[in-house]
Formats: sequence, structure tokens, C-alpha cells
Amino acid sequence: MQISLKIALIIIMVFYLLCILGAVKKKNMRIGYLIFWIITGVILMIALLIPNLVENVSNLLGFGMPINMIFSIAIFVILYLIFDLTTLISKEQNQNILLIQEISILKKRLNDLEKKEENSNDQ
Amino acid sequence: MKILLIIPAYNEEKNILQTVKNIQETNQKLDYIVINDGSSDGTKQKLIENNLNHINLIHNLGIGGAVQTGYKYAYENNYDIAVQFDGDGQHDINCVSKICEPILEGQVDMCIGTRYLDKSSSEFQSTFMRRLGANIISVFIKICCRKKITDPTSGFRAVNRKVIKEFAENYPTEYPEPESTVSLLVNGYKVQEVPVSMKEREGGESSITRKFWKPADYMIKVVLAIMIDSISFRKRGGKR
Repeated sequence: MQISLKIALIIIMVFYLLCILGAVKKKNMRIGYLIFWIITGVILMIALLIPNLVENVSNLLGFGMPINMIFSIAIFVILYLIFDLTTLISKEQNQNILLIQEISILKKRLNDLEKKEENSNDQ
Repeated sequence: MKILLIIPAYNEEKNILQTVKNIQETNQKLDYIVINDGSSDGTKQKLIENNLNHINLIHNLGIGGAVQTGYKYAYENNYDIAVQFDGDGQHDINCVSKICEPILEGQVDMCIGTRYLDKSSSEFQSTFMRRLGANIISVFIKICCRKKITDPTSGFRAVNRKVIKEFAENYPTEYPEPESTVSLLVNGYKVQEVPVSMKEREGGESSITRKFWKPADYMIKVVLAIMIDSISFRKRGGKR
């Protein structure tokens, strides 16, 4: 790998880690997802900093080119992540529907009670 | 026997008052609940002004979520029978007793009012495309559940207390009519159809025809949903 490319990648990695740090500080991400991003960051950092690690591993696993291994792994990780997210969205949607229904029914009951009270006060 | 009409309404300001008036004129004893599905027109004001019994959903949920709210209301208020009844004047109030009858006799758990069984009784047979769509869905329900349902997209249906409880807890909200039918069939509930007459919509916009603008898309998804449901609902095991 050319040294200029390596420096560029390291800069991107530092930016990525800063993003994670920001998310940790703001506490706006669930711990489970934070752990996923931190582990991903650490793995990428190791792959970047240890010379010839990617090449050796891809040779060992029988990939023709190191880039093939990287793409394959990346695609599978992303697929897993999207699957996980659609599961989460479905769960959230169901919870939303439940909340809207229950709140609306409660509001109706509250209205009915208030009306009843008004009527009994008038009499 | 307490019977509740569940009337889902989305942007039905033109129809809703007439629908409720028809109900009250025909049968005073029938209870009804209008579920206003977060309408963007004047439906809400109309319901309040005329003091109709209604629930305002605080956000639009789609027909499935709205109808389920009605089942929850029916369950909490101890109704024996719940009838799904459209707010657009499409369903005939005189047929309510007809679709409640098999349930009152205790023969079935759900009774669907269908347009296609008896050609003479219904002036509105709907378009060719819709009939074709209903037939295709019907074939797949037959394959998955071994039971012929001629009008699986009909929103005119009556259910007993057991099914009210089931639907209050668990109601498929994406393609509610065919999916809920499948969910009952695979769990051993008895479903029957009776012929009813349906009128052309009096105004407003149907919630299903909006989907039928993309008929192929809708059909593929419904068929897949039926096949998935016939597996995923069965897991809960037999009749409870």
C-alpha cells in the first residue's frame, strides 16, 4: 500500500473514532450499537496498522486478492446490520401502533367521563 | 347479546354522518364506535359536533390499526359480537343481522359478508380487476388453509367474543382482511361466508383502492403475506 493512501485512511479512521466518541459523550445511541461500532473501529484500526495483516489473512483463507476478502466481509456485516435494523424497526412500529391505540382509547374514556361529570354538575 | 359496529373512518366527512344515521334509523339497539384514523379533513369536527360515539386516533395507523382499536374497545366493554362496518356507505346496514346470525347460533367464529356468492343479491359486483384479484387471493388461501373464501378482501365481517379477544391482542395490520382470515383459519377457528349486497361508494376515497392503484404490487405482497402467515400464525398451536 502506498504511504499516502495509508495516511489518508488513518485520517478517515481517526475521524470515525471521533464520531464514535461523540456518540458516547452525547449518550444518544444505545449501548448495544455503540459496542458494535467500537469493535468495528478497533478491527479496522488493527487491520490498518499491522503491516501485511490483511494480505496474510486473505492468503490463508484462500481469497485471490485481499480486496475480495475485505468486500465479502464488509457486505456480510452490512447485510447483518440491515437485517438487525429492519427487525428493530418492525418492533418499534408495533410498539408505536400499540401506544397510539391505547392512548386514543384512554382519551376517549377521559372525554366520556368529563362529559358525564359536566352533565351531573348541571343538574 | 351486545353487538358493536366498528366503523373505521379515514377522511369520510361526507359519508360518516349518513352512515351513522342509517344505523340509528334501522336499529336503535345497535351500538357503534367510529374510529377516526387521524383524518386530515373535517371528520373529527363532524364527529364532535354531532356527538357521535367515536375514538380519535392521535396518528394515522391505516385501516388495520384502526379496526384493531375497535376490537380493543369491544373487548374492554364486554361486547359479545363485533361487526366491522365501513364508514363510506358501501355496506348495507340491513345485512348486519344476516352476518350475525351464524354467530348467534354458535356455529362459527367469524362470518364474512361477501359480494360474490350470490350475483343477484348485490347490485355492486365491483370491477373485473378486483374480482380477479379476489379470486387469486382466494386460491392461495385455499392452498394454505384448505378453505374456500370467495371474498377475502371484504371488510364486512362479524366475529364472536373469542375472536374479539384474539384480534384485540393480535391483529395483522398490513393487509388486514386476508391476513386476519388466514390467522383464524390456521388456528382452527370456523369461518363462514354469507352473501350480502354492497353499494357503490357514496363519496370520499377508499383505503383499499388506493392500494389497488398498484394491483400487481398489492397482489404479490398479499399472496406472500398469506403464505408467510399460514406458517407463522400456526406456530401458536391449534384452537385455544
